[in-house]
Amino acid sequence: MKIKTVDLTRIFRVGSSEIIAVNKVSLDIEEASFVAIVGPSGSGKSTLLNLVGLNDYPNYGKVLIDNINTTLLSGSQRRKIRLFKMGFIFQTFNLLPTLTALENVELPMALACKPQKEQRENAIKLLEGVGLSAKVHHRPKELSMGEMQRVAIARALANNPELVIADEPTGELDSETAKEIIALLFDTSKSEKRTVIVATHDEKIVDAADVVYVMRDGKLNKKDM
Amino acid sequence: MCFRNLHRRRLRTFLCVLGITLATSLIITIGATTSRYVSIIKEMHTYFSGKVVIVSKGTIVIEAFPISTGNLFQTMVDKLKQNISEVKDAIPMLFIFNFEGTIEISPKNFTVGIPYGNWSVLVGPTPLKSGGSWPSENAYEAVIGSSLSDQFNLSVGDSIKLKTYDLVVTGVLDTSSALLSRSILVSLDIAQKIYNYYNLVNLIVVEPKEGVNPKELAGIIETRIENVEALTEDETTNLAQPLISNIETWALGITTVLFILSMIFVTAVSIMNVSERRRDFATLDAIGAPKTFIYKMVIMETGLMGLMGGLSGILLGSILAIIVASIYTSIPISLFLPGIFDITPPTLMLEVLVSTVSVSCVAGIIPSIAAAKMKIAEVLKVEY
Repeated sequence: MKIKTVDLTRIFRVGSSEIIAVNKVSLDIEEASFVAIVGPSGSGKSTLLNLVGLNDYPNYGKVLIDNINTTLLSGSQRRKIRLFKMGFIFQTFNLLPTLTALENVELPMALACKPQKEQRENAIKLLEGVGLSAKVHHRPKELSMGEMQRVAIARALANNPELVIADEPTGELDSETAKEIIALLFDTSKSEKRTVIVATHDEKIVDAADVVYVMRDGKLNKKDM
Repeated sequence: MCFRNLHRRRLRTFLCVLGITLATSLIITIGATTSRYVSIIKEMHTYFSGKVVIVSKGTIVIEAFPISTGNLFQTMVDKLKQNISEVKDAIPMLFIFNFEGTIEISPKNFTVGIPYGNWSVLVGPTPLKSGGSWPSENAYEAVIGSSLSDQFNLSVGDSIKLKTYDLVVTGVLDTSSALLSRSILVSLDIAQKIYNYYNLVNLIVVEPKEGVNPKELAGIIETRIENVEALTEDETTNLAQPLISNIETWALGITTVLFILSMIFVTAVSIMNVSERRRDFATLDAIGAPKTFIYKMVIMETGLMGLMGGLSGILLGSILAIIVASIYTSIPISLFLPGIFDITPPTLMLEVLVSTVSVSCVAGIIPSIAAAKMKIAEVLKVEY
């Protein structure tokens, strides 16, 4: 999936003041690349990911996905893109607490109306892929942080997306687990030729990335490698 | 998934379901009680069809039956037959409600005195249970209704006491009619002796000759005989109609209030559930769940609570309705149990269940809109 943003701007109004979270950001992300966005907390990384992931609307500028201007799409078209073409990994995992690991992974496939049998087979395969074959029937509260993030990765890959967006995926993990998660994400990008965008503070991810952007005060700059 | 979401917040779900249960049980109890009253009144309407009923002026009448004092001289029967040519036959009756205590809202039973051989004027084609026979003339004998027979374990040959008189049971009416099953039928002269109504009755049933309009006959009777009311079938119905309407209006009012309260309750609980699960809904939205999926999920959750509360409310309400019926009729609860569906008809149960689930689903609409309208980016940002 090819992603391009043009003068992307997102302004939040807090009372009478305005905060420019993303300030005229233009970037170009090639297919199957592993992109890291780094920057201090509050620099606008998550806001940028939300805009690119079609979870939010820019005040100005546009997001082009495979040369389609997504700002012109309807809410339901944007949902379809999120469901079929994108996978999301959150810092706090955001697994549904009432569902088992298996059901959490099946959920995007169920929403995509895939046959029950296919959902089950794929979900088991994905959980095996992230090393959780023994815990498919565990609820999130019965899993460790690292295991929850693995489930979240498996869920993000459920509909075989072209783009995976990860917002601080290792933020809550210890360094050993973080290393494993980074390896999984990297493998996801390279073996399946997926575009992966990761907002992170983690130097290990920065080291693994093909392209690194630095975000500061809403402005984005490419880091020389 | 919906069931698990409810299970996760079990205490709140339980309290919400309990609220619905209480509201539904009250609706069932009120509905069953009023519908039983109304059906008894309507059943009374089926008696004396096509005839004119004479009562003393000012007597309070439900359908054709006098429920307050007001006597007629029995000699009036001969006057009617002799002086009014439109009269084919006139049958005097004594209708006594037997109350016990002072706060009862329904009689325990009725004694009906009917001239020997004229039983069919009240019971129509209702048969006696096998082995029974109608009371003999001038004998202290009685035929009793099946409910009385069951309650007091009475059968042919047993003795009952009315006031200070002992009567022998000669037969048991084979009927489920609310009125007849609680009746004690005796000869008119015996009833007059027992209740000190010498030469007095409180009801005369007049059969018009063929081709005579009952309304015209009623007019003639009221013109020629002073201090009586001659009521046609329509008039007796009209007299009862305001009572039925009042009962039904009150029942409808209370039911509506209870449904509205249930709806507010379910909405409040559901809004709490939704606001606590903002991150879950935002996550669903982020992974591309259609809005309809979120609407359905929230509405199904409230519908499920309605279903659980409705089912348990119907069960509790049916039991309460039996207890209420037992209190106002003084019939033991055990006798009502086999006829639970007579007290609370299955149609009422179904109506209340469908209404409860529907009201709960409607109550889920506002929370479901709130859930689907969440702005993902803002929710996820705040929840971090």
